[in-house]
Amino acid sequence: MSYSISLTVNGDQRRVELDDPRVTLLDLLRERLDLTGTKKGCDRGQCGACTVLVDGRRVNSCLSLAVTLDGADITTIEGLADGDTLHPVQAAFIEHDGFQCGYCTPGQIMSAVGLISEGHAGEDPERVREGMSGNLCRCAAYHGITEAVIDATRRMAETSERKSA
Amino acid sequence: MDVVSPASLSQALALHAEGDSRFCAGGTALQLDWAKGLAKPARLINLARISELKRIEQSDSLARIGALATLAALLETSNLPGTHPLFHAALQQVAGPSIRNRVTLGGNMMGRTGCLLPALLVLRTKVQWLTHTGGLTGSVQDLLTASASKGILTRIDIDAQHPGERWLFRKIGLRAAFTPSVINVAARLLLGDRNEILEARLAVGGGIVPPARLPEAEVLLTGRPIETIDWAQVHDCLMATIEAPADAFRSSEYRRKVAANAFVHGLGGDLPGRRTFPVQTPPQPLDRPAGELALSRSARPEAWHQRPDVAPKVAGKLAYLTDARQPDMLVGRILRAGLPHARILSIDTSAAEALPGVMAVVTHRDIKGSNAFGIVVQDQPALCFDKVRYAGDAVAAVAAVDAETAERALSLIKVEYEALAPVTDPEAALLHDAPRIHESGNLQRELHFARGDVEKGFRRAAHIVEKIYVTPRQMHGFMETEGGYAFVDDHETLHMFAGGQHGARDCLQLSRILAIPEDKIRVVTSPTGGAFGGKDELTVQPALALLALKSRKPVRLQLSRAESMLAGQKRNPMSIRMKTAIDSEGRLVAQQVEVLAEAGAYASLGPGVLETALEHAAGPYNIENVRTHGRIAYTNNGVCGAFRGFGANQMTYAIECQMDKLARLCGLTASEIRQRNLRKPGMTGYLGQRVAPTERADEMLAAASHSPLWSLPQGLQPDGEWIIGTGLALNYQGNGLGSAVPDPAGGRISLSRHGSIEGGFGLDELGQGLLTLVKTTVANELGCGREDVEPVIGDTARAPDSGSTTASRGSYVVWASTKLAAPEFSRQMRAAAGCILERDPDTLALGKGGFFERGTNSGEILLRYRQLAEQLDDKDLPSVTVAYEFPKNEYTGGNARLIFAFGAALARVAISRVTGEVRVLDLHQHTAAGPVMDLAAYLGQIEGGALQGLGFTLTEDAPMRDGHYLTSNLDTYMLPGIQDAPQRMQSFALESLADGDIYGPRGVGELGIGAVTPAIANAVFAAIGHLPTVTPIPPETILAALEER
Repeated sequence: MSYSISLTVNGDQRRVELDDPRVTLLDLLRERLDLTGTKKGCDRGQCGACTVLVDGRRVNSCLSLAVTLDGADITTIEGLADGDTLHPVQAAFIEHDGFQCGYCTPGQIMSAVGLISEGHAGEDPERVREGMSGNLCRCAAYHGITEAVIDATRRMAETSERKSA
Repeated sequence: MDVVSPASLSQALALHAEGDSRFCAGGTALQLDWAKGLAKPARLINLARISELKRIEQSDSLARIGALATLAALLETSNLPGTHPLFHAALQQVAGPSIRNRVTLGGNMMGRTGCLLPALLVLRTKVQWLTHTGGLTGSVQDLLTASASKGILTRIDIDAQHPGERWLFRKIGLRAAFTPSVINVAARLLLGDRNEILEARLAVGGGIVPPARLPEAEVLLTGRPIETIDWAQVHDCLMATIEAPADAFRSSEYRRKVAANAFVHGLGGDLPGRRTFPVQTPPQPLDRPAGELALSRSARPEAWHQRPDVAPKVAGKLAYLTDARQPDMLVGRILRAGLPHARILSIDTSAAEALPGVMAVVTHRDIKGSNAFGIVVQDQPALCFDKVRYAGDAVAAVAAVDAETAERALSLIKVEYEALAPVTDPEAALLHDAPRIHESGNLQRELHFARGDVEKGFRRAAHIVEKIYVTPRQMHGFMETEGGYAFVDDHETLHMFAGGQHGARDCLQLSRILAIPEDKIRVVTSPTGGAFGGKDELTVQPALALLALKSRKPVRLQLSRAESMLAGQKRNPMSIRMKTAIDSEGRLVAQQVEVLAEAGAYASLGPGVLETALEHAAGPYNIENVRTHGRIAYTNNGVCGAFRGFGANQMTYAIECQMDKLARLCGLTASEIRQRNLRKPGMTGYLGQRVAPTERADEMLAAASHSPLWSLPQGLQPDGEWIIGTGLALNYQGNGLGSAVPDPAGGRISLSRHGSIEGGFGLDELGQGLLTLVKTTVANELGCGREDVEPVIGDTARAPDSGSTTASRGSYVVWASTKLAAPEFSRQMRAAAGCILERDPDTLALGKGGFFERGTNSGEILLRYRQLAEQLDDKDLPSVTVAYEFPKNEYTGGNARLIFAFGAALARVAISRVTGEVRVLDLHQHTAAGPVMDLAAYLGQIEGGALQGLGFTLTEDAPMRDGHYLTSNLDTYMLPGIQDAPQRMQSFALESLADGDIYGPRGVGELGIGAVTPAIANAVFAAIGHLPTVTPIPPETILAALEER
């Protein structure tokens, strides 16, 4: 049995044919759409390396069956920057050295983007840590990650204030 | 399996009536369930499109929640914290934030193990569900007992809590956050005007604990004024009535005890029957060392460099070797033994080979060279032939057009085994009648060392401490599991792209297995997504090479996390019996150490780990009389090998805890006893070997004694739960492979065809910051710009052999190679430029972008590097390659290092009287490792090492039973998460070297892990007088130590 779904991936509308309904969004991205920026660390929702945005919210793509996402709008790490201009979260991760080997970084960044748009954590370090608790970093760049998220939150708030002013 | 997404409830029910099917809401539990072996239904009915089930309506008195409302949506319901605080608190504890975006309330409930069930049991909750025969309404209990799987849960109505009621929700897990539930507790006490308890509702649940109310305890509480409650009696009642099973990670008693503690402490405000402890006295401050740098970007911005690979890393574009995809690329899979110990009777691959889409099947019969590998001892088969020695042993491998076909092919390979008795304990392995795992016997290595007269020393003792320290089978847990790709080119060269830590040695090992000359094998090992020692040995390369050679196509292969846990190396578990004596002055007079380490099925670097452990047996102290004995035994428990710290951190744990225990016995502070025994400059090393002149243990101790952490609050906190204590520990870590093994190093500086100055090193970028280091070091030494330097690393075709990226040796190798090569390279460059410019080369200097006139500040580039390269033939491009032996001494009595780095760690920890958990609040690390070449990388290594040390101490272990792992993924193997990291961390560096020390910057890859474990253990000892001698510290032992005896 074949399934056909339509997805918007990083702004591009795509029709995807799935011959197997068990394909996760993660495998769809990595194995069929050639978007290997989203990483597979555990394939069980335990590490967060596969975090992407689905309709603006962060999800573990390894836990989402692709067939259940018909019509969804997906943003992956590859679609985050605006051309050559980095997303503020990407820039903050660079600024604060929020990584070492970099393998968890796409998931950390997508999770941070999701967290900031959820708007709960603000600039409180403990709430930021809470909000990032689903993303593991074995190199343990946690200190830099926390600072990067706080910094990006602040910058994004300033930008949106300027825009609304 | 078929997936359907009905648009209405009636449609969903109709589909369900057709047969074998399962409803699915957020679907977040499916993968975990399936991984646990739960059968996949013929049909999955996805309810996500039924939007009427997503509605949330909330008033002051009631929340009406559709079963498909996500937990995130509930958390965003504005008044919920006001009307339903208990429910809101419970929601925040479920899984992680991204998962809560998908998890639905109904899904969490119907899974029966959901964290929310105890909360819903104590709240007034009414549920509605729909079956083929109509709608039903009932309580949560009704839902749990009814055969509700036949229907669809549709709505959950929760009454608001009463103002002024006393409530509690707590999830007890295996780490600080994003943890599986050990047990969850929920309670509500409704109080009358005179504080009498009108109604008590208590429940437990979560994970494997059956969700249940606790009626006996409720009766004890109901009808009495709260101040008259006998909480000790309530505790006893709870212990007797809570039903909680055991699993591999926590006992039934622990679950019951922490639940009872949580109820009593949370509702009664105190825990009766617990010991109190005096607050420790801080150590006297010693003379503070001059020039210690507090590491932060602002401390020295010019030394903080952005990693050269940042841009692709944040864009998801860095090409990890497991990310390669090509249309004609095959997918490889490895068949694992599945049995811990068995003889292979036959292997039949015919059915797998016949499967359409299978392009190669390989077994031991395809190995033309030596079917044995291992960095030091070649005892591990690339593909097993006579026996399998652990459940993850590789038996065969398949390459097919896609993963599904490859996996199907694996299932068609028939291997007949004769099971052998597994040896699952190193002690048992060494009994004379133990089954032999290898022909040579189960004792892999035995080491002795003695100095002075231990018996005489012990006779002089005023105090003796003898303890056994037990350390875990820690997993490396790199986020990128082992993998890569390989192909054979038109010139019959095998190209192997797989994460590793020493390409040249991988090449040598592959050459032996494949019987292909080394110059026909190219190995690329960078970038690698984390290694920590776990990719030092060969991983997937043998199978991958055999598949590429047989299929003649590019093949990729990456281990799943479960396979990585099963097959990959872990840290060698150790048991260290240490007997240490001091005289009446607090001076160490004798020490005896007995180590039993577990090799697992094959040796790999285990013998080296044991050697290194024993080399650090005295810590940075001077002990006249010592005797050490170490053994490492084969077992059928997985495989073990190199891991950051390499035995030194295990031994440091033991000796540093001994010091605190001895200090307590003789009435000295932690710093006094250490000061009396520290090594002094000019002394030989522990084994009697020559060592580099820089000794910094004194300074590290002095810096630690000044720490502001000593003056922060200590002892029992006003909340009645947390007891705070602070501990310190020293460490030192040898650099390089040691005196007994070859340790060749080298590098190259050259001008590339494109005009960049290449720093060529056969080392790997694993996240530690090698690229930054190469740029910085080469630019500093030559005077050129950082942007002129292009690191060429991790590729045997492009970079010379530099030795392994292990043993804290990389920094030295880059620094020393550059120092050696730079003068000649600069001479060649200036000579070539002088020729073109028709100037005396001595008037030229290398600078940013090109050549300048020496001694002037004109800023005029006389010739750009690019222009120079353009005018030279390939053979005339300046290039200097250096090769030398990593610095070592002449010691032959064992493996002894020459260069050491020194450190001290201070941990301020909080111990929970409720759960026995230990949390690290503050961690300060003092380091002395020579000049800091790059601040960001140095800090990253120290903090990263610290967190792995914290995991080793508090949460990480891969327990086994009968030769099988009890954990198969990161859902039960507890890597420290961001909330396990100390809230405050600070690292310091003392950069100076002693006069005459020619060895430059030390590596810090391992320094950061060493002292963390004993610092935490000593902090626990300071807080509650109990010294934990087993890691990860079992919370049961902490709880026992807190109880009145």
